[in-house]
Amino acid sequence: MITLEHLTYTYPQASQPVLNDLSLEIDDGDFVLVAGPSGSGKSTLLRCLNGLVPHFYGGHLTGSVRVAGVNPVAESPRRMAGIVGMVFQDPETQFVVDTVESELVFAMENANVPPADMRRRVEEVLDQLNITPLRQRRISTLSGGEKQRVAIAAILTLRPQVLVLDEPTSQLDPQAAEEVLIALRQLNTDLGMTIILSEHRLERVVQFADRLLYLPGQGGDLIDGTPQEVLRHMPAVPPLADLGRQVGWRPLPLTIREARRYPPLPLKADTGSPAQPERAGEPAIRIEKLHYAYGGTPALAGIDLQTWGGKVVALMGRNGSGKSTLLKHLVGLLSPQSGRVLVMGQDTRKVDTEELVKLVGYVPQNPNSLLFADTVADELAFTRRAHSLPDHDPGELLKALHLGGLRERYPRDLSVGERQRVALAAILAAEPQIILLDEPTRGLDYAQKGLLEEILHAEKRAGHCVIVVTHDVELAAACADRVVILADGQVIEDGPTGAVMARSLVFSSQMVKLLRDERYLTVPDVLRDLA
Amino acid sequence: MRLHPISWVMWALGAATCALLTRNPLYLVLIGLSAGLVMLTAGTRTQARSWQQLLKLGAVVWLVTIPFNALMLHAGKHVLLHLPQTWPLIGGNITLEAVLFGAAAGLALWVLLLIFSAFNIALDSSELIRLIPPAFYQVGLITSIGLTYVPQMLKSSLEIREAQRVRGHRFRSWRDTTPLVMPLVTSSLERAMQLAESMEARGFGGSGQEQTTRQQLFNSLLALCGMALLVAVLGIQLWLRQYPWWLVGLFVLALGLLGMAILRQSRAARRSRYRPRRWHSVDTLLTAGALIAAASMLAARIVGGTHLQYYPFPPNGLLPGFTPWVGVAMLFLALPALVSLALAPAPPSRRTEEGVPQ
Repeated sequence: MITLEHLTYTYPQASQPVLNDLSLEIDDGDFVLVAGPSGSGKSTLLRCLNGLVPHFYGGHLTGSVRVAGVNPVAESPRRMAGIVGMVFQDPETQFVVDTVESELVFAMENANVPPADMRRRVEEVLDQLNITPLRQRRISTLSGGEKQRVAIAAILTLRPQVLVLDEPTSQLDPQAAEEVLIALRQLNTDLGMTIILSEHRLERVVQFADRLLYLPGQGGDLIDGTPQEVLRHMPAVPPLADLGRQVGWRPLPLTIREARRYPPLPLKADTGSPAQPERAGEPAIRIEKLHYAYGGTPALAGIDLQTWGGKVVALMGRNGSGKSTLLKHLVGLLSPQSGRVLVMGQDTRKVDTEELVKLVGYVPQNPNSLLFADTVADELAFTRRAHSLPDHDPGELLKALHLGGLRERYPRDLSVGERQRVALAAILAAEPQIILLDEPTRGLDYAQKGLLEEILHAEKRAGHCVIVVTHDVELAAACADRVVILADGQVIEDGPTGAVMARSLVFSSQMVKLLRDERYLTVPDVLRDLA
Repeated sequence: MRLHPISWVMWALGAATCALLTRNPLYLVLIGLSAGLVMLTAGTRTQARSWQQLLKLGAVVWLVTIPFNALMLHAGKHVLLHLPQTWPLIGGNITLEAVLFGAAAGLALWVLLLIFSAFNIALDSSELIRLIPPAFYQVGLITSIGLTYVPQMLKSSLEIREAQRVRGHRFRSWRDTTPLVMPLVTSSLERAMQLAESMEARGFGGSGQEQTTRQQLFNSLLALCGMALLVAVLGIQLWLRQYPWWLVGLFVLALGLLGMAILRQSRAARRSRYRPRRWHSVDTLLTAGALIAAASMLAARIVGGTHLQYYPFPPNGLLPGFTPWVGVAMLFLALPALVSLALAPAPPSRRTEEGVPQ
């Protein structure tokens, strides 16, 4: 179906090729997963398949590409649209029209598909992606997962033979990602459609793939094979595969079910319950009977919560469960309608937002909302000026966040993970006592996520109070002392991470799911107790 | 069953013509009632709500302008209040006439707003875009992208404002706009690039037109001649200040040439239409209703003595006059509401077959 021979590609003005002498073949009906760190050329490889590289990006390409016998380099992406369908990362930026049905027909009208055909194809893709109830809806009212499924459906109306998806779930929460991946799996198994997908979070998708391609980046060689083989050789892998590698399971398990088939691990006996976290002194944040409603729709319905310095709290729950509303109360963007919120002993209704934000730092979900300056150092200096703090050399802070070499770089040119850390640095520059992070791991690869975990631990050691709103259970397992789960504007779970995860089916890490023991949240936890 | 977009356009044009041609509050109330009925029966509730907000705002503006009018206009016999003459501008009699006059003027504007809201609730913007002839396809495409873009821009602008505010950003001088504007500009550009890429991958690149250069040249010539002729006709008309029959003929010819160019270009654009809307008998009925209302209003204006204007100051009375046939004609604007009510519960396809044959 797809043949690449000695493919080498260099972006314009780049000195190093991003893809170097790449050769591979993909069969009809394969489900191929492309993995690798940010900047390793995953997106570039995918864009070679429909001619966006080099037609849209320019640059220099040698070697040959054939997709279903057609050469995308000689043809244009427009001509390839009928052969290769491409879905992008951000569900927001793929739509041209504002209702679902008109979006589905837009490409077909453009391609002069006869009306009778259009009718049939629309009905078919509505069923295939399970979006029939959405056909009359406005796209702006859809959830992320629904949007991404509509985007896939719109691509499928052109009847491509290959579906290429560039990190289609990286901007979605786990439930939405699941919806999209299940739809893709159905397309692959029921229709035999060839699917090529790049993804950072391998644990979500690796079990669906027939084949895994690992691009190490920086001139390293491609690792190609079945997921079980490739996972053995990749540097950073999902926790389950990591454990399998450490204890010598062969073949590597891809799912919890597969891992359960191996004999139980020889773990030390329970040595009594873990030490209860002491709750001494004044809480950094105290929320009492907090109620808030947007125009009659309740968002928070009686929240009681306290957190202390030197602790990391993971705030979890579905989209729309009230997490963002709660965060906005902590920085004074919203005021309680009833109940009260005390930040470092001060009532948020009585202090100005200006005063409050000196105590609380907030890192938004999208780091791009913060970054505007010409250099990384300027971003940090701006925050200090905004808080009327004296100038200060940012070298140490940047080094702690692994940004040491980037202080004079333009923030927008950096990778997603680096931008995320620059945004974090810009907030930490004001030395807040309380740090709030909204979905900090979105779009990060394993290495960048590891760095973030280190940073959060450092903040905790410094005695700061950290609240992380996240869907990422592995992040919570690695960093959080405590997990709070919200549903319908109420706290339904609040306790030590291990205990909460052991009780929950959804909000628990792979290790907890596997061993069903609150002592083992992460792979290092397990290895420590291994006899 | 849904009405044809063109019949909605005709309705809106007819209703707006009526509202623009009169200041008589009685007629305006009739037009407003009709438009209000149409609005209530036309759309889904969620859509209606945002327009209702706009109407409320319009009503507030209207109420605010009334005292403003009363303070400025001091003519009339029915004095409500007397302000000292020494006060600049507002000093003098506050009269009932001025209040009524201001209220009627505001009513006219508000009724226009009502018509516009009803039209927007009844007809989706994307359907309106589909009415654009294929020759102007690019214009339609750009408008459509713009419409999907605006809500996204507003959303990210709000996110940026909140994030920077929490970071300690405050407005002190014009230089403080950079932290708000720069992220918005750069994210918009990035988003535009992503959209362009996604559209390219979906086969939107290029114009999609497959024409020979000769055909294109001919079309351009046709359009050029039409435009030149049109300009000439308008020039001559300005110079002559009258409309001889040959000038009207030339005008029609110019329009014909332009129409032909658009038609040829549209045919060459090779695009198909998904579920083209069918013109039903009710559409004819509705369009006829709108035309009758607008034509009656025009006729009333030409005939004269039909109380289209409202001027409550002496020697006129406070109460507006009323000509029954004009009032009745305004009720034709409520036809879409009656049609929606009559058709709503019945199965759509059966109903049209039983109706008046097309």
